Amino acid sequence: MEEELKYRYWIKSVPGIGNKKQKKLVEYCGSAKEVYRLTEKQLLSVQGIGKRDAAQIIDSKKNWILEKEAELLTKKGIRMVSMEEESFPEKLLNIPGGPYAIFYKGNLPEPKKTGAIVGARSCSAYGKTMALNLGQCLAGEGIQVVSGMAAGIDSFGHWGAIKGGGKTFAVLGCGVDVCYPRGALELYERILEKGGIISEYLPGTVPAPGRFPMRNRLISAFSDFVVVVEAKEKSGSLITAEFALEQGRDIYAVPGRLDDMLSRGCNRLISEGAGIILSPEEFLLDLGFSGGSGKTGSQNEKMVLEKEELLVYSCFGLHAKTIEELVLHTGLSAGVVADLLVKLMMKGIVEEEFKNRYRKV
Amino acid sequence: MYSIVKTAIVRGMDSVFVGVEADVSEGLPVFEMVGFLSSEVKEAKERVRTALRNSGYRLPVKRITINLSPAGVRKTGSGFDLPIAIAVLAALGEVPQENLRDSLVLGEIGLQGNVSPIRGVLPIVASAAGEGIKRCIIPLENIEEAKLIPGMEIWGISHISQGVDYLKGRKYKETRQGKKEREKPRVCPLDFAEINGQKSAKRACEAAVAGMHNMLMIGPPGSGKTMLAKRIPGILPPMTEKEQLELSKIYSVCGLLPKEGGLIRERPFRSPHHTVSPAGLTGGGGIPKPGEISLAHRGVLFLDELPEFKKTTLEILRQPMEERQIQLVRQWGNFCYPADFMLVAAMNPCKCGYYPDRNRCSCTEESIRRYLNRISMPLLDRIDICVETFQIPYEDLVSCGENEPSEKIRDRIRAAWERQKTRFQGTDICYNSRIPAGDIEKYCNLREEQKKYMEKIYASLNLSARGYHKILKTARTIADLENSEEILQRHLNEAVCYRGLDKKYWG
Repeated sequence: MEEELKYRYWIKSVPGIGNKKQKKLVEYCGSAKEVYRLTEKQLLSVQGIGKRDAAQIIDSKKNWILEKEAELLTKKGIRMVSMEEESFPEKLLNIPGGPYAIFYKGNLPEPKKTGAIVGARSCSAYGKTMALNLGQCLAGEGIQVVSGMAAGIDSFGHWGAIKGGGKTFAVLGCGVDVCYPRGALELYERILEKGGIISEYLPGTVPAPGRFPMRNRLISAFSDFVVVVEAKEKSGSLITAEFALEQGRDIYAVPGRLDDMLSRGCNRLISEGAGIILSPEEFLLDLGFSGGSGKTGSQNEKMVLEKEELLVYSCFGLHAKTIEELVLHTGLSAGVVADLLVKLMMKGIVEEEFKNRYRKV
Repeated sequence: MYSIVKTAIVRGMDSVFVGVEADVSEGLPVFEMVGFLSSEVKEAKERVRTALRNSGYRLPVKRITINLSPAGVRKTGSGFDLPIAIAVLAALGEVPQENLRDSLVLGEIGLQGNVSPIRGVLPIVASAAGEGIKRCIIPLENIEEAKLIPGMEIWGISHISQGVDYLKGRKYKETRQGKKEREKPRVCPLDFAEINGQKSAKRACEAAVAGMHNMLMIGPPGSGKTMLAKRIPGILPPMTEKEQLELSKIYSVCGLLPKEGGLIRERPFRSPHHTVSPAGLTGGGGIPKPGEISLAHRGVLFLDELPEFKKTTLEILRQPMEERQIQLVRQWGNFCYPADFMLVAAMNPCKCGYYPDRNRCSCTEESIRRYLNRISMPLLDRIDICVETFQIPYEDLVSCGENEPSEKIRDRIRAAWERQKTRFQGTDICYNSRIPAGDIEKYCNLREEQKKYMEKIYASLNLSARGYHKILKTARTIADLENSEEILQRHLNEAVCYRGLDKKYWG
């Protein structure tokens, strides 16, 4: 690691010194190395640095061996980039309260079209499909997908992008070497294959409730537009949308039914002026892409179905149907419906989203 | 003087025959008992002494020694009172010894000399014939179950003096006219016709019973899981005489035979509460008594709210489900109880019960996964059929058309069982669900095109080898229900629809 970088890493590590003060100190001295050399008295002369801050800074030098810490960071495969550097993402420079430096594993997003897919953790099957579809469509057009790797919509957004063969980036509310949620380890590794894991927190930081809203501001900062797939009326995703607004990013929302708690937040965003997503294809057109690579449903319609298969298939709408409902609507016996459903599943036009609940693909 | 009386105790389902020896000789006046006795048998001393005196027999001022042999077997239970009393009387010369030679004596006595019923009379009497015993002297209240064994002379007595009279040569006359057991028509007040809708779940129940497949129902609260399960005994074909006797023996060991007598004729339906202990489920105690799984032998064991059961309790089920019996090893030996039951389990999809309806369920993915993980994979692996039950809207609840009565469903199942009986003749397999992995090829043979089709399904559904076998077995049963020797594509498809739980649905 470069000499100066080691000092920047130290500044980043001082507890109690936030992004604002970090920036101020470096600006005042001209380089991080100079900051390291300041005495307590000199420190106090910097505007905005109080007595306690100065003591913290002096104190932090004791337990921080520059060489060792830098080596440890490299060993973990974690890189740090600060705002003085060329490679620091430009999008982060212009936002209010942007970080002084960020840590990442893998790669950083390239300076091209990037979108965020965010939403509820406990999502419905509808939200899951939408997130997967959108992720896949965006990735198919070469748009980078950013999200927070949380359970639910976030992960499905990532998965969609991975499925579409695109790059996806996760911004975490903990250290980049901490996989949170723990169950997302597979996703964590898949993201690293092409994209990256990003965080403004020191490696090893454990997740805490206060860090997630801050994380959300980076998600929106990294992207050109934010898509909210499913959100209740009080939801972290709406915080992301607010940040996006503040940072001047476009906001889109996936509409839902009026009585669906999980779509209330989205519907409200739309009423307040967010873009509405009518279909992934139309959305891509809206973004200025042709939408050709996304798959369309028309080929399914042409498939030849037997009379009874058609009877069952025609019962499906946007939402999943239970086997019981299908029996009731078609008037066929349970055994026959079961047989037909598996036939349709094997043809790939129906899928089982939950035990004995089926949905049109 | 010396005498010996034969008696027996039950060990598991088997009987151990015990000789009660009595010796009356000169010496200090004591009543001593030896022979590896448990405390309830030791107490017999006081009961016998007092009962004999109160019945008008005078014990001489002599040394009375009782020995229960073989000395290596621990004697438990209350059935030794009567044989000890008779042995003492025989040693005193009150009862002729020769009449005791081919008799077996069982029973508890009170201080007045009255004889009270004991447990396990049926299995003891059943095995007595093999020991060359011709006559059993038992408590009058146990007479109905003892009479189920043909060719055995049974004397039911209600007081010691009666027993002495008969042994002295008075002709035996039954004092209480046992109620003639009439062939009662099957009473199963719960009928599938009472359930509107739930057609797919009903169909799954039918398929499960037709092959005795274990079954799991998942659904929100109030969607009819328990209602469906309670109606399953109504579609089980009746038991054979042999099965009835086998089951009655278990109930006799537990003292659960009906008072009015006769065999247990209805297939059992046991639904232990989820607080049941492992011992309560499998059988337990120093000398283990049969547990719920044995009481559900040849019938249904219904576990409602499956994830609420303690994990250790559930895991215990694994081995008996495989072996169809339970081996309990205790200090006093091995006890084996049959446990050939059909498991019917019911559970909610998550803690609040409404997943995947996200308007009502706000459980986190993590909590849902934790809820499901309370049931281990090895247990789920043993469940062939899994269905979801749904809440039906009111309109469907009231207007559903004709529902099929249980009677009709049972007829179809009986035919399917007949087919299985012919198929498995000469083997120890009874139902399709019991086909061992090695014989799947033989009994669930598929045609070339079906094989190709299954290959496709195997790949697209990401099945395991065990999951694949389960589908084949279920398809075999569904084909049997249709009276088709060949397994067709539609049978496979339906089986795929009922395939076991797939953890992928939970987040």
